[in-house]
Amino acid sequence: MFDKILIANRGEIALRVLRACKELGISTVAVHSTADADAMHVRLADESVCIGPPPSRDSYLNIPALLAACEITGADAVHPGYGFLSENARFAEILAEHNLHFIGPKAEHIRLMGDKIEAKKTARKLGIPVVPGSDGAVGPDDDAMALGKAIGFPVLVKAAAGGGGRGMKVAQTADDLMMALSTASNEAKSAFGDASVYLEKYLQKPRHIEIQVLGDGRGGAIHLGERDCSLQRRHQKVWEEGPSPVLTAAARAKIGATCAKAMQDMKYLGVGTIEFLYEDGEFYFIEMNTRIQVEHPVTEMITDIDLVLEQIRIAAGGDLPATQDEVALIGHAIECRINAENPQTFRPSPGKITQFHPPGGLGVRIDSAVYQGYVIPPYYDSLVGKLIVHGKTRGECLMRLRRALDEMVVDGIETTLPLFRALVREPGIIDGDYHIHWLEQYLAGQPADSKAT
Amino acid sequence: MARQPQDKSADKSAANFKSDDSAIIRELAMLLDETSLTEIEIERAGLRVRVARNISVMASMPANFQSAAPVSAGTTASITPAAIADMAKHPGVVPSPMVGTAYWSPEPGAKPFIEVGSKVSAGQTLLIIEAMKTMNQIPSPRAGTVTQILIEDGQPVEFGEPLVIIE
Repeated sequence: MFDKILIANRGEIALRVLRACKELGISTVAVHSTADADAMHVRLADESVCIGPPPSRDSYLNIPALLAACEITGADAVHPGYGFLSENARFAEILAEHNLHFIGPKAEHIRLMGDKIEAKKTARKLGIPVVPGSDGAVGPDDDAMALGKAIGFPVLVKAAAGGGGRGMKVAQTADDLMMALSTASNEAKSAFGDASVYLEKYLQKPRHIEIQVLGDGRGGAIHLGERDCSLQRRHQKVWEEGPSPVLTAAARAKIGATCAKAMQDMKYLGVGTIEFLYEDGEFYFIEMNTRIQVEHPVTEMITDIDLVLEQIRIAAGGDLPATQDEVALIGHAIECRINAENPQTFRPSPGKITQFHPPGGLGVRIDSAVYQGYVIPPYYDSLVGKLIVHGKTRGECLMRLRRALDEMVVDGIETTLPLFRALVREPGIIDGDYHIHWLEQYLAGQPADSKAT
Repeated sequence: MARQPQDKSADKSAANFKSDDSAIIRELAMLLDETSLTEIEIERAGLRVRVARNISVMASMPANFQSAAPVSAGTTASITPAAIADMAKHPGVVPSPMVGTAYWSPEPGAKPFIEVGSKVSAGQTLLIIEAMKTMNQIPSPRAGTVTQILIEDGQPVEFGEPLVIIE
């Protein structure tokens, strides 16, 4: 087992990782930019090292500084969290060259799944159903129009180096295709440094359903059920729940087994999530994330498996925590990502939290690094925290969520709490009858100054 | 500042205290609080420690000691050198531009680049910070006189850590 883990991240996930390290008795090193010197996980860690000024590229993405911090503290492993360098295969390789453990998948798998075109090819080879589309990047000599017609409009143009919902443009009809291609390609070049794009069938009202997997790197792998993350705004997940309101046990077992088998064949190491669009009873692979995800607590609440702790144990050579037969999904969980944003305009609202009261009680969990008096810096993402609620049934979970949201206080900044208070009362949400465009349609339909508070 | 572990034996890589030295200081501080003494001084092989109420802990001991913040009953944070924290605001401070290990000399056994009292010009090398086997010369941002050297030879430093004072 590792002696000392350097947490190469910030905010709520850094605190999350720190908690797992402490429960495993592993020493912790918190690295931080000058803007994060007062972060909660920095205060709680055994040691801290300031690694740079606020900009991420000079701090949290600064590989030499991270390596130097490992060197001076004697850390023997690095946990990359999510975002930042968590899916950077080169970082994983550099750590290995310096005899440091990267708590994550093998670099080759990070690389494989990071290229969205290759990932799709790999998924298909492994027997995972994929969205119909161009067989690879659309080159200058390809007849894009013919490809589009074969797929069937509307068609989505996607950046090969994108992911996480970025770098996508819709071509509703054949007339829109050439414009969508050039726009997407130019944006991809400037955002990701790679202009390659590919085409996919655009599904009208799919749900986003993802499967959590866990592999021991030696051919053993299990799935831990699904999360339904259909409620998104600008491709960013806002509300996630598990199990999905629409999957039957049989459908779950089938897609889960497909994913677990694929991970066994790959000899995948660590945690991962295979993301699908689900429409009319069919699953379509979109991408795989080779890291711990923001919404991992949903799965933790229904399986009672500590995913970050297992990540660390498995990276140190440990076994899977359960066989597939031993994995049980109990009850229902919902997570709300609460951001420091205006609940209607979504304008960021950094600043000092003057009052903070997190809700509590049975089945209520807050994953947040903020505290009363904490100043949210303007340099990073706007996540205040995640409120995760568990109940024996979806109905109980919704009532508990309503109660917890009403009780929660975050003053001094604007947050999206009012949005969630409204959503938890919406018939479409209560019925579980939504899809990936639902939230944006809901937001567009809201009168300018109406909302529940 | 790379902080010391709270209440366990010192971590070799980041500690400048020896663990039993900090334990002595804590014990003396607790004694002060429990009794109505205002000052306790002890001496044993190689170490003399005096702890006085409401005054910084003083000690004379081998070169790698750092002065510590006032120890009082209310302290909950790990002992961070208050002297160093104040230096960060000093107008003449030269903060570390990187993470690594600071050395006074170009190589072991060689003469240090500077000493207290040295007059330096802008751009003159003050010390070396080593990270992953590469030596980085740290230049003075201005001309002036070195009035304080705040880090020990071979000390791990973080980004922004006060290194020297040049006035």
